[in-house]
Amino acid sequence: MNRPSLAPPTRPPFWRNATFLKWAAQIGVLFGVVALGYVLIGEAAANMRAQGLSLDWDLLTDPPGIQLGEGIFVKPDTGMEAFYTGAVNMLRVAMSGILAATVIGAVVGIARLSSNWLASRLATAFVETVRNIPVLVQVVFWFFLSSILFPVLQEGSSGPIPGLLLVSRKGISFAWPFPQETFWQWGVFLVVGLLTARWAYRTRMRRAEEMGEETRPLTWALLIFLAWAIVGWFAHPLAGAVGWLFGLLAAQVGAIPVLVYQVMLALAALYLAWRWIHRFLESRRSPAGLAKLTDDDYFRMILAGVLGTGGAAVLLLWPGITELGANVFQALLEFCDQKFDFLRTGAPLAIGQPSVEVPGRFAQIADTGMTMTPSFFGIWMGVTLYTSSFIAEIVRGGVLSVPKGQTEAGYALGLRRGQLLRMVILPQAFRVILPPLGNQYLNLSKNTSLGIAVAFPEMVQVGQTMFNQTGDTIQVILLWMGFYLTISLLISLLINYYNRRAQLVER
Amino acid sequence: MMENGADNPIIVCENVKKWFGDFQALRGVTTSVAEGEVVVVIGPSGSGKSTFIRCINRLEQHQEGRIVVGGTELTSDVRNIERIRSEVGMVFQQFNLFPHLTVLHNITLAQVWVRKRTRSEAEERALELLERVGIPEQAHKYPGQLSGGQQQRVAIARSLAMDPKIMLFDEPTSALDPEMIVEVLEVMRELAKTGMTIVAVTHEMGFAREVANRIVLFDEGQIIEEGPPSEFFTNPRHPRTKLFLQQILSH
Repeated sequence: MNRPSLAPPTRPPFWRNATFLKWAAQIGVLFGVVALGYVLIGEAAANMRAQGLSLDWDLLTDPPGIQLGEGIFVKPDTGMEAFYTGAVNMLRVAMSGILAATVIGAVVGIARLSSNWLASRLATAFVETVRNIPVLVQVVFWFFLSSILFPVLQEGSSGPIPGLLLVSRKGISFAWPFPQETFWQWGVFLVVGLLTARWAYRTRMRRAEEMGEETRPLTWALLIFLAWAIVGWFAHPLAGAVGWLFGLLAAQVGAIPVLVYQVMLALAALYLAWRWIHRFLESRRSPAGLAKLTDDDYFRMILAGVLGTGGAAVLLLWPGITELGANVFQALLEFCDQKFDFLRTGAPLAIGQPSVEVPGRFAQIADTGMTMTPSFFGIWMGVTLYTSSFIAEIVRGGVLSVPKGQTEAGYALGLRRGQLLRMVILPQAFRVILPPLGNQYLNLSKNTSLGIAVAFPEMVQVGQTMFNQTGDTIQVILLWMGFYLTISLLISLLINYYNRRAQLVER
Repeated sequence: MMENGADNPIIVCENVKKWFGDFQALRGVTTSVAEGEVVVVIGPSGSGKSTFIRCINRLEQHQEGRIVVGGTELTSDVRNIERIRSEVGMVFQQFNLFPHLTVLHNITLAQVWVRKRTRSEAEERALELLERVGIPEQAHKYPGQLSGGQQQRVAIARSLAMDPKIMLFDEPTSALDPEMIVEVLEVMRELAKTGMTIVAVTHEMGFAREVANRIVLFDEGQIIEEGPPSEFFTNPRHPRTKLFLQQILSH
């Protein structure tokens, strides 16, 4: 056979070489970003100097001379304390809001799909009303509603349920089990209980699958957890041993010289980089051998190597970081140590009941119960209900996204409704629900900044008060951005982690 | 072979009627299927043939008439529905495998939770059935990683794992490429040989001619004509049957 012969391959000149161009673009973008940042920051610094503004962080250590509506430090001594109070207040609204919005959203979403006519109509009405009104209006609405509808607080007020619930214009106060100084010791038992309950649930579940018998895993898990909780309630001083362990560890951490930590951390950084590269190469390896690596692959591996060595170098050359870390860790251990003591006895929880006090001319809610101020009520109700209406739609969409054929196949196999939901429908709906659900969590967290409208001292309100006092606008804005970015990234990280675990395998 | 499944009937339908809104999908269907009989249901689209076999395991609810399967009547009694569903296997046009579970888990799920078998028993049975449908090596893959024909064979194995007395096939090859149709029909042919009672909606006339004991023609929600394939194809009595056969056999 007479095959046509190919001319010998030619190398293109570098300005037409796709590989070279790609690398040049990567490095070019990197330099561009760094240069732009350098110019912008330099320019901003020069302008601020010219206007007599300084970028110092004295506002964090100076007494702010402000008063906050509620929180850990109502009269903060430093700016740090003020921001800390704001951050904790924000997190209180965000966490409890996310929890409540998820529950309400799931219930309403499933109710909308229900064949119960009344339930589905009510759910639809709720969703359509709540999601079509701006969240700021809703926040203000709930805030003012509480001051119009709720009774005026007087000396003899005891609320709708005396001893349990007190509703007034100064806030809603309810009975609450407050953790006492022995709570941490009891907490050890709760954690152990949770772990054993989880273990029991799994073994009972596995038994159900392997033996094909009814094993009531949930009942078992609950009973085991309850048993630990009850035993721990009385036996919690035994957990004092944990405190002794913490103390021992704290002493050890303090005794080791910083250099040892530096070397260990540097080695860890190198190891992590090496492991990442190793795993990356493994993922490109098939039974047929190592796949041909692309430029992107090389770029990633080089980046991992540079980050690892760079991290190790920084750790070795700059002992301050490691020292700070070690000190914080030691302080944390000592803090935990103080929470445990063999000799500490008493109930871990004490019920506090709402009550009224009259320190001056006006009655106010005493510190004895758990109190939700009108501001908290406004922002919490506003963002929670608003977000729950979106979550309801997401849940509904998720369940509807599972093809009808899945239900039919399940029924045809004889699965019951509950089994079908648990093992076929919900696992598939969950994959669709998760990413938009994460968005709603982010929205809720960021919407807590509307607390400023009802004078709720969260991050933004505190920050604004602070820069009105000090004039350090840039610093406050940087703090805000850093704070919300951190919280949002943490939530995203969590959601992405679950999302990756829930993905379908296809082809 | 008995003309109308007269002796030892396992499925009996009497004047079954079904409406979707104001559209009447079934206009009084009366027939019965004997144990071990292979019945192929054909008819133009929209003729009610799918609705009919979906009524047999209550994926659709008939509104008038009676359906008795294996001596149990389909009523709104939940226990009867469960009993019948556990005796009747069904294979769908779109396979409807559970995409989040492996092939093996697809086949063991209902065995464990409905038949109350142990996991190891169920897995043993599943592997045996995968062997029978010719894809034992796919047990640990996910449905999305299989071809259409392989998925349909897994779906058949999944139904068979419940040891049904009756198998319903709802256009099992309509969503498949031609070379995959063959492999699924082969499995169905094998199944028919084992004496399984089969009711299949299909357009595969070769299969019908070769395997069926009886062909049933549906049109506008009614049975137009039924009979053994030899008679049905060569000597149809009803003009509608002649027209339908002309349409599908002309090409």
